[in-house]
Amino acid sequence: MSAHPFPYRRTRSGIPLGLLLLSVLAAVIVVLPVIVTVVQALQGGLSAVIHAIKATSSRELLSHTVLVAVIATPVCGLLGLTCAWFVERTRLPFRKLWTLLLVAPLTVPLFVTSYAWAELSTSLQGLLGAAGVIAFSYYPIVFLLVAVSLRGMDPALEESARSLGLNGRQTFFRVVLPQLRPALLGGLLLVLLDTLVEFDAFVGLKFQTFAVDVYSQYQLSFSASGAAALSLLSITLCVVLLFGEAWLRGHANYSRLGPGTSREPINYPLGWAMPLVLCALALVVAIGLGIPIGMLVYWFTQSSHEGYEIASENIHYLWPATLTSVGLGIGSAILALVLSFPVAMLAVRYRGRVATIIERATYLSFALPDLVAAIALAYAASHYAHFLSGGIALLVLANAILFVPFAVVAMRATLGQIEPALEDSARSLGAGPLKTLWRVTMPLARPGLAAAGVLVFAFVLGDISTTPVLLPPDLYTLGTEFAANSSTTAFAAAAPFAAVLIALSLISTYVLMSRFGRTRTSKRRSRMKHG
Amino acid sequence: MAELRCEGVAKSYGTRAVLRGLDLVVLEGTLTAVLGASGSGKTTMLRVIMGLVEADAGTIVVGGSLVADGRRLNVRTDKRSIGYVAQEGALFPHITVAQNIGFGLARSERKQRMRVAETLQLVGLDDSYGARPPQELSGGEQRRVALARALAPRPRLVLLDEPFSGLDAALRADTREAVMHALAQEGATAVLVTHDQAEALSMGREVAVLREGLLVQHATPTALYRQPVDFGVARFVGEAVLLAGHASSGRVTCALGDLNVREPVLEREVEVMIRPEQIELTKEPAAEDGVVLARVIDHTYYGPDTVIRLALESDPSAIVRSKTFARSIPVAGELVALAVHGPVVVYPRQRSRAETVLNGEVAKSTRTIGKGEE
Repeated sequence: MSAHPFPYRRTRSGIPLGLLLLSVLAAVIVVLPVIVTVVQALQGGLSAVIHAIKATSSRELLSHTVLVAVIATPVCGLLGLTCAWFVERTRLPFRKLWTLLLVAPLTVPLFVTSYAWAELSTSLQGLLGAAGVIAFSYYPIVFLLVAVSLRGMDPALEESARSLGLNGRQTFFRVVLPQLRPALLGGLLLVLLDTLVEFDAFVGLKFQTFAVDVYSQYQLSFSASGAAALSLLSITLCVVLLFGEAWLRGHANYSRLGPGTSREPINYPLGWAMPLVLCALALVVAIGLGIPIGMLVYWFTQSSHEGYEIASENIHYLWPATLTSVGLGIGSAILALVLSFPVAMLAVRYRGRVATIIERATYLSFALPDLVAAIALAYAASHYAHFLSGGIALLVLANAILFVPFAVVAMRATLGQIEPALEDSARSLGAGPLKTLWRVTMPLARPGLAAAGVLVFAFVLGDISTTPVLLPPDLYTLGTEFAANSSTTAFAAAAPFAAVLIALSLISTYVLMSRFGRTRTSKRRSRMKHG
Repeated sequence: MAELRCEGVAKSYGTRAVLRGLDLVVLEGTLTAVLGASGSGKTTMLRVIMGLVEADAGTIVVGGSLVADGRRLNVRTDKRSIGYVAQEGALFPHITVAQNIGFGLARSERKQRMRVAETLQLVGLDDSYGARPPQELSGGEQRRVALARALAPRPRLVLLDEPFSGLDAALRADTREAVMHALAQEGATAVLVTHDQAEALSMGREVAVLREGLLVQHATPTALYRQPVDFGVARFVGEAVLLAGHASSGRVTCALGDLNVREPVLEREVEVMIRPEQIELTKEPAAEDGVVLARVIDHTYYGPDTVIRLALESDPSAIVRSKTFARSIPVAGELVALAVHGPVVVYPRQRSRAETVLNGEVAKSTRTIGKGEE
């Protein structure tokens, strides 16, 4: 009897060692800026930290930030949930078109939306506008996650509830909504965390939040340690929220008990409510997508002669800026995919304490305002990885890190739909873990990978807080050009850049809505027949 | 193909012991059906044999080579050469049938297509299936392709996890036949896991009954059905009637008369296990001495046979079931005579039941429990 030469290395919890190491590495890279920032802040001593926090009006700004988050997050939840339910569960005409239009605001650069709202009415320059921009730009996150969850739900659950005498409303609140809880909470957490460190969305509205303050502190004094000290506040807040969410989520299990039925889910007729629902959805689209696009057109048409002159001069910059932006977007997207894939895989296939901790650790990318993360990375590179310093690679890394949590969420939605039995079968046929990944998991997950990549791509296009810090001086992007020109008197000069950005974001939206949470052979379209 | 030998395999999840020292030997070229209720540890057993789950203790040897030894050794799944047919097939949805079957083959063999065509034929499907996507196949065809895929790389052992679940009766029989044929042709050593006793008895050269993480009986189908080790196994592999009785010198006396015992025991109080099909009933009985009379309560018609519930005349609270091929089914309330054919099985009586005997309630301890408890 001979011992086999290929022992299989797993950890105690059954997680393959390679996967665990890769996920931990990804988490460490994502958390790196936070660690650097904490060290930076504490280097000056605790009293300096306290001084920095006291010196500014940080308490008021923090309360501003929290207020926006507290108002915008529930609105996001409500908008995302209702829109998703109507699109997925009612006999709504032009469903695909509605999905496209409802997802689009997510990929429209936030600063474009922000300037658009600010230009629309001065009354929006403040809390109302800030909360509005966040709510109408981020509800698609909730929408996408809830829609996937609704699609994956066993229709027999709703049918049973109806047969037990529950009406449509009762079924929704007692059966559907509890099932949607993980998707809803997950989406809300992303929105909440992102809002707390948001900068881009408020840039045009002149609304003073915590991140805006950090940004101006940095611009005024170039004081990295001051910004770092202030960021201790957001780090604390982020950690508290992550613990809170873990506690709130508890241990309830919402997974399907069995393979379930593969019928089409119940689609409720809308009847007399149809025009009402259509109007409401149209209103959401009008606010989320109509305002930025409308203002863009307005900027073009209402500009002065002088404005057009600057605009036509700027046209030369349009093509190189587009190239740089797209290149940055693609690079960051690929890197974000590489970082988030092992984490998503771990979270889906080896659910448990270890997976949850690692997955949630990547959420610490929300602990810092983007700018501070950028500074931290620049600092770390100049001290420990000089070859990265000042190059575009650092910017790609920064952008990838910032959007890893979104990529993880998008990938999870798809990976969760792939039956583990497929991977087991591949293994039994002699394919090793990598080969199984390459020949089975990746091909099936391709739509999800595309969705995750495109989401990061769109977010990178719409970024103007890390780019100015880390972009090599001879380069410029659509975002930086827009920002530079929007401060001049004529918005027409900025408009061409915004137009390209929005066009790219609409293309991204198409990929996103058609691929998010789907596998190569989506269950709904061509589920295998049984019996 | 090769022999499988599991010794003392144990696996716990937290404090819950799922496998508790499992011993299983499957001889080369034979099929052993592992029969177990849900939660008995069937799936964990398969996953441990495959190497997807690491056992806490015990050894697994496939074809003479040690693939698992407690926590010390756990050979990777892909290096074990153990074929696996998952529930419902688990065909890769993104590639064709031929690509599915060729998945485990070396690149050169995959290109030749010989083996793919050969295994497709082996499971009774013609060449035209190769180019089709798995979605276009019926449930039965999917299971056949899944088997072909598992057999193609000539594994040392094939594991089948409830391969016919979710198929309707006719399709199930066809698919079962095709699978048996393919396995026999390949001379495959196979473990089939199921909760369906008919499937286990009809397919396995040997049947192992798994209960609470232990193999409680491992025997040929006939031995298992005729001489189950305890009443639990008896009623798991088929319907069973249980009566209190007194055994002595190869015979047992119970409410159904003086019966032959399959394996004689010492004189003692026992429980008598009788298969319902052993109990024959005669209409319009003569009221003679020694004739066991019973009154029909009701019946359940299954097509090929009918199960009739009867209350004994000697004690109307004692209820037995008879399973017969009856051309004319007796009506409720009709008086019939009962006779038991063939030897019966006895088990030592548990104390609690002995007490009921002392209280003079022998009849009330009569139980009829079957798989199809209506």
